[in-house]
Amino acid sequence: MSSLYQRLGGENAVNAAVELFYRKVLADGRIARFFDGVDMDQQIAKQKSFLTMAFGGPNNYSGLDMRNAHKRLVEKGLNDSHVDAVLENLSGTLRQLGVAEKEVKEVETLANSVRDDVLGR
Amino acid sequence: METAPGETVLDALLRAGVETPYSCRAGQCQTCMLRATEGKPPEESQIGLTEAQKVQGFFLPCICHPAAPMAIVPPDDAGARKEAAIREIEPLAEDIVRLRIEADNLTYRPGQFLELIAGPDLSRHYSLASHPEEDDFLEMHVRLHPNGRMSGRLRDGLRPGDKLHVAGPRGTCFYEGVDRDQPLTLIGAGTGLAPLYGVLRDALRQGHRGPIRLYHGARSGSGLYLADELQALVKAHGHFDYIPAALNAGGDVAALALEAETSRAAASAFFLCGGDNLVKRLKRDLFMAGASLKAIRADVFTPAAPSV
Repeated sequence: MSSLYQRLGGENAVNAAVELFYRKVLADGRIARFFDGVDMDQQIAKQKSFLTMAFGGPNNYSGLDMRNAHKRLVEKGLNDSHVDAVLENLSGTLRQLGVAEKEVKEVETLANSVRDDVLGR
Repeated sequence: METAPGETVLDALLRAGVETPYSCRAGQCQTCMLRATEGKPPEESQIGLTEAQKVQGFFLPCICHPAAPMAIVPPDDAGARKEAAIREIEPLAEDIVRLRIEADNLTYRPGQFLELIAGPDLSRHYSLASHPEEDDFLEMHVRLHPNGRMSGRLRDGLRPGDKLHVAGPRGTCFYEGVDRDQPLTLIGAGTGLAPLYGVLRDALRQGHRGPIRLYHGARSGSGLYLADELQALVKAHGHFDYIPAALNAGGDVAALALEAETSRAAASAFFLCGGDNLVKRLKRDLFMAGASLKAIRADVFTPAAPSV
């Protein structure tokens, strides 16, 4: 059985998904404000790291990095509802790209595994 | 410095105690990006970088196993200063001058920027409007600010023949790496025209085949400098259009460009040069309209912080 990352199509799949995903996030009124004023080129590189992790790809994500990266946002009110919105956009992106429901669920589970770190709990 | 077998450039740097930023260590976040000034980085260490970055030797040390020696520098390193001599300072518009200087052995791509050093503690970045194969000088367009120190030197102090220094070039606003057949859209305001003029002439020279549109915004009609030169290029090249917009006559260059470009944004290459607000707005709106971030090259022009 090949890995989730391989089944999804590896780096090409991340590349295909990342801009779609970022557009959805920026267009989502529930969470767009957290991205105000950020450098879009730096942000898309971070989105790519996140998707690679969620796709089960090679990464060195650490809980501490996630906590530090989101600390400022938690102070601005980032909570579970915003994480839910991001996950929704992630699943929406995958479905739009024709990813099967089984893999969508696996990605959701991986992405959800960093929720507590993101929210600093 | 040698990398051990299996060791990445980042590992080797950290082992040697070099303080260099990094984060993901997996070639994704681009936090650790460096540039090779000699030697070619392996292709796999440039994954995810833009074409403009790749041709300039940028690479990700955390996934780089070098096959041959490289000389590497931090990504914003401008290199050694070079002496330059002023050839000409001429008005282009009410508050804009054209500065032409000469420097030996300075290679650049049209649209990149230089650091101009006019004395201790007085340096500014200016984009290049000149073309290395068409011009035997370096040309910059400088907005004169009433209380600006560099502005004052250019207005009242510096004369042809005077010496100063330059460092660079830097920046990714150049034509190389654009697909010749795709639509090419250049949008700028004020002296943001300088790099676009360089990019435009390079695109024409390199035989760009897709439609080219240059939008130039200014506060008033008198700020639409180089209009005659651009109109002449429109006449000479059937696939090039020049769209000037004067704000005092109701022309908002961003609104104008967005209205026309949104429907074809996904297929186009964009160059955006101007103030922070203009560039941010255009970048975001064009991205949301379907443009790939990798197809958008931008330089933000920021006025120097007021001196105390």
